[in-house]
Amino acid sequence: MRISKSQYLFILTVMLAVYYLVIGIYLNHLGYYNQESIFYIEKTKIIFEGLGNRIKVMGLTAPLLPFYSTFIFSLINTYLAPVMASAIGTAILFYIIARALTSRIENDFYLYLVLVMFFFHPGIIYAACSGKAIYLVLTFFFLFFFNLLKFYRSNTTFHVSIASICLVTLIFCDYRFIWLTLFFVPLVLAISIQSLNLGEKESIFRLFLSFNSPSLRRKLISKTFAIYVILFILPVASVICYKLLNLTHSGDLNYFIESPYATWSVLVDKLNFDITTVSSNYQLPELPILVSLRVIYFCPLILVAIYLFRESTYQALTILTPFAFIEFLHIKYDKLFLNYEYYLIFLILAILCLIFKALTVKNQFIFKVILTAVVLVQLYTGYIFLNKSLIRDEKRFITTLIGQKPNLDQGESMEMAGFINSLPKDSHVLMDDAIAYPIAAFTTNIRRLTLPYQDLFLSAIETPYRYDDYILIATATNPYTGYTQLNNKYLPAIRTVNSGVNYKRVYVTDNWILYKIITIQ
Amino acid sequence: MSISIPELLVNDGFITPGDQGKIHAFAARSGSSYAKIALNFGYISRKNYERSLINAGFVFAPVREEAFDIEVLKKIELKFANDHVALPLRIENNKVVTLMTDPSNQLFIDFVRFTYDLEPEIIVARDLDITWLSHKLLGEKYVKSSVYELLRRDPSSSASITFTTPQLVFIFALIAVTTIGLVLRFKDTSIIINVIISMFFLVAIIFKLFLALVGSRFELHQAVTKSDVRNIVDDELPQYTILLPVYKEDKLIKKLIWNLQSLDYPREQLDVKLLIEEDDDKTLQAVQNLDFPAVFEVIVVPFHMPKTKPKACNYGLHFSKGKYLTIYDAEDIPDTDQLKKVVALFAKLPERYICIQSALNYFNRNENFLTRMFTLEYSYWFDYMLPGLDTLDIPIPLGGTSNHFKMDALIELGAWDPFNVTEDADLGVRAYAKGYKVAIVNSTTYEEANNDPLNWIRQRSRWIKGYMQTYLVHMRNPATLIRKIGFKGFLGFNFFVGATSATFLVYPLLLAIFISYLVFDLSTIRTLFPDWVLFMAIFNLMVGNILMIYVNMMAVFKRRYFELILFAIANPVYWLMHSAAAYMGLYQLITNPFYWEKTNHGLSKVNNPTNVVK
Repeated sequence: MRISKSQYLFILTVMLAVYYLVIGIYLNHLGYYNQESIFYIEKTKIIFEGLGNRIKVMGLTAPLLPFYSTFIFSLINTYLAPVMASAIGTAILFYIIARALTSRIENDFYLYLVLVMFFFHPGIIYAACSGKAIYLVLTFFFLFFFNLLKFYRSNTTFHVSIASICLVTLIFCDYRFIWLTLFFVPLVLAISIQSLNLGEKESIFRLFLSFNSPSLRRKLISKTFAIYVILFILPVASVICYKLLNLTHSGDLNYFIESPYATWSVLVDKLNFDITTVSSNYQLPELPILVSLRVIYFCPLILVAIYLFRESTYQALTILTPFAFIEFLHIKYDKLFLNYEYYLIFLILAILCLIFKALTVKNQFIFKVILTAVVLVQLYTGYIFLNKSLIRDEKRFITTLIGQKPNLDQGESMEMAGFINSLPKDSHVLMDDAIAYPIAAFTTNIRRLTLPYQDLFLSAIETPYRYDDYILIATATNPYTGYTQLNNKYLPAIRTVNSGVNYKRVYVTDNWILYKIITIQ
Repeated sequence: MSISIPELLVNDGFITPGDQGKIHAFAARSGSSYAKIALNFGYISRKNYERSLINAGFVFAPVREEAFDIEVLKKIELKFANDHVALPLRIENNKVVTLMTDPSNQLFIDFVRFTYDLEPEIIVARDLDITWLSHKLLGEKYVKSSVYELLRRDPSSSASITFTTPQLVFIFALIAVTTIGLVLRFKDTSIIINVIISMFFLVAIIFKLFLALVGSRFELHQAVTKSDVRNIVDDELPQYTILLPVYKEDKLIKKLIWNLQSLDYPREQLDVKLLIEEDDDKTLQAVQNLDFPAVFEVIVVPFHMPKTKPKACNYGLHFSKGKYLTIYDAEDIPDTDQLKKVVALFAKLPERYICIQSALNYFNRNENFLTRMFTLEYSYWFDYMLPGLDTLDIPIPLGGTSNHFKMDALIELGAWDPFNVTEDADLGVRAYAKGYKVAIVNSTTYEEANNDPLNWIRQRSRWIKGYMQTYLVHMRNPATLIRKIGFKGFLGFNFFVGATSATFLVYPLLLAIFISYLVFDLSTIRTLFPDWVLFMAIFNLMVGNILMIYVNMMAVFKRRYFELILFAIANPVYWLMHSAAAYMGLYQLITNPFYWEKTNHGLSKVNNPTNVVK
């Protein structure tokens, strides 16, 4: 019995999903968690088990789509949900890419090349097995550019509309991609010029011609504006709506990107940069001008991609847009490191370019040899980028995977959570999950925690003895201590207000102290 | 006087000898009289015909008030009288008083002699007067058939009964349950209603976006290419009937002739029927006063309730001769190659495709705000939504005009429902229910967009009322409908036909809640609805609005109407007009379901050039 191409791809996808799941679950058993997945786990627990304004947690936890996709898998297992989501999501990404590839290229070599990357590229394995939302960013990034390139060919509204929808989803996977729109401003003009029915082929002359004829000029402006609108109105309107929802439900337009209660990255990214740059063995952060070079070092395949599109200025510009985007990110967020996902998008983009243009190369043999060599190099650079990463989550992923030794990064949180779990059933603990979300995530019964999403949290902060039996305080050595009210300054302050209450240390770790509230009166 | 009228016309120079031969040949082929062909196929104007006969000594008598004898009329068939533009009225002085446009029509004179065994007493009369009188006196059985045929053959498909008993029971039971719910548990019931309404609103709009995306995917697809049209051999083209139902459209008659003459189709193969109501003297007079030859045959529709367009079309169907049939409005400007494209597409499609819908759009789109909004709406409707429905194999509610039918299948379906005010949408669903299919052709008919708000609301109230009628008719037995059009078709029908009216009814309610909540910050709403309900309702309303605006924005692309794109933002205002029309339609559905809210045409001041397709 012969199996069809789509069945074959499906089988490969299932194999890939199983492969990722095995690695992801294995790493999970070794104790590897990252801040993002723990954050999702904690929010999921609040929604399923919490008491209070859960709808706000559900609506305003950001990024929205990764959280929701994790949420779906939490029905199976809360702690493995992020890993399951990323493993299956990455396998689906492979399927989408492979479908696009096989429908355009008969030659199986390219499929196997992509398969090799998905099986062995450390970056893709990181995206698939870490439980982070990189897989969604890559998927929608791919679909956005895929539809845009299809629009260049077909000039149909369908593809530009789908591209726009993909851009919306991309932004709701990582808000920073909103800045990608900035670099499409000149690009859309180039697209419009290209689509005008002119005899002249060269873009610059087409621009000259269309600006010097009143009717063409009017047409060009109308069309450029129309493409802007059709491409960007959905993302812009969605962001405005989302911000308005944030405003009505939290009183802050930017709550979803600025509040540590809404998103994990606010504190983690910042702290990661601070720790690295002030640590004793000072490491040089990425220099702006080197970012593009780093990308090329990470993914030399992108050079091949640009070469393939050399004949079409505006299409080549499209491929170059993400370079401008990450350079911009580096300038705008100068106190942050660029995450691995911003490098991985180039890998996906390069594969996309191959899908469209690989067959245009005449000497296929040489081309395939070059591609094979480049891919092998990329497997190495992918590893290097993870291993030498300045971001702790990334580095720890590869060291745990290679070392295959238990990862104790979350040991302290688990230890404290273990103690809280052992407390009497009816005791309540006041804690601030802006920074203590890992502890909340590992706590078996989240109902015994008084957390900021609950209306009574503010009252509990003022008069903890009325609501809670314990308070979790961040020690002075806790790197996040400045970002919570429940730190070492809290108890002296609360003592002056309520002198009739005493606080007794019951459990201490390096970064946390659990106090028992003892009412004297 | 024994002078032959054809010879007289040639002698007077109104008809060339070449045309004379053509007319005679065509008359012999078609069974119609010489005068009928000459006056209705563009050979001579009525004024010149009359002038020629008056010069020869004939007197045209006003005949509408002439006395008639039922027994005399019983012996003549309307179609024969119509083909010969002649009518025997009564016996007087041992002669048959006979009205004739062409007093030299020997065939009809012989018919009178043989039938009544008496000599005719000929009164020369204008052809339109004879047509008017003959349809009025002899058309009763045809007009009754036009009204009752569908009801007799397939009563379950007729909208003559608006609400069936089970439907009334359901509606009143629903109202009762809601009322009881509101009395007993006001808050919970309000929450449930709010959630259902806002979810329904969002799902209906997402469905429309989905359809538009599916439709836009094939926007470059050409069902019929230019070379397909070029390869058509004129001599092999079948006879094509065009029905033009008009009512008080006297200002548009000249434009109509110009548009019809521009059609790229052999003149003699066109069977154009201008359907004029019996009481519409204005239009009849406008046709009579034309300075140039007409290219259509006038059919006078005798008075009978309901006075609707589908009844007129059904009546016209009795006199139609074409293999294919289409309907245009008086102000329509079809692409000149539209008929040929349809013939080519019917030849390509399987036998079960019995109708082809052309796209509709507007020639006066830049006239004012309303025409721009209308153009946006029609562009997405015909360029994206209908192709989307077509691709997904969901019943297509046909547009008001430019739907081309296979004549035999149309008759088999029972033609149009005269009690339904959107008979076209109903017919589309009925065709699907019988296993037939509807296709979309890449050809456009340009119409006049309504530029007056009140006129617009009247027109739209009829459409929405018709959609409600159609929905009620086909949902009399949902299980049967699912069996006939499948579950996908059933869902499509509910979301497309049912939801269209419902969303317009619901929209102002949602908007009112939204505005009260945001602007006035009404505390009652906050206490009534928990946060999550308000969150969801506002989310649905905002996302729904944005998506609908987006769908409208997509519409400009295919037509390259880029300058209209920003007007899509004004859609929420435009929908409020829809809502006003929807409530008017709902009121009429209950109080006056068959009333045809007439749309005034010819209000546009925009010149409408013929859309020549090269």
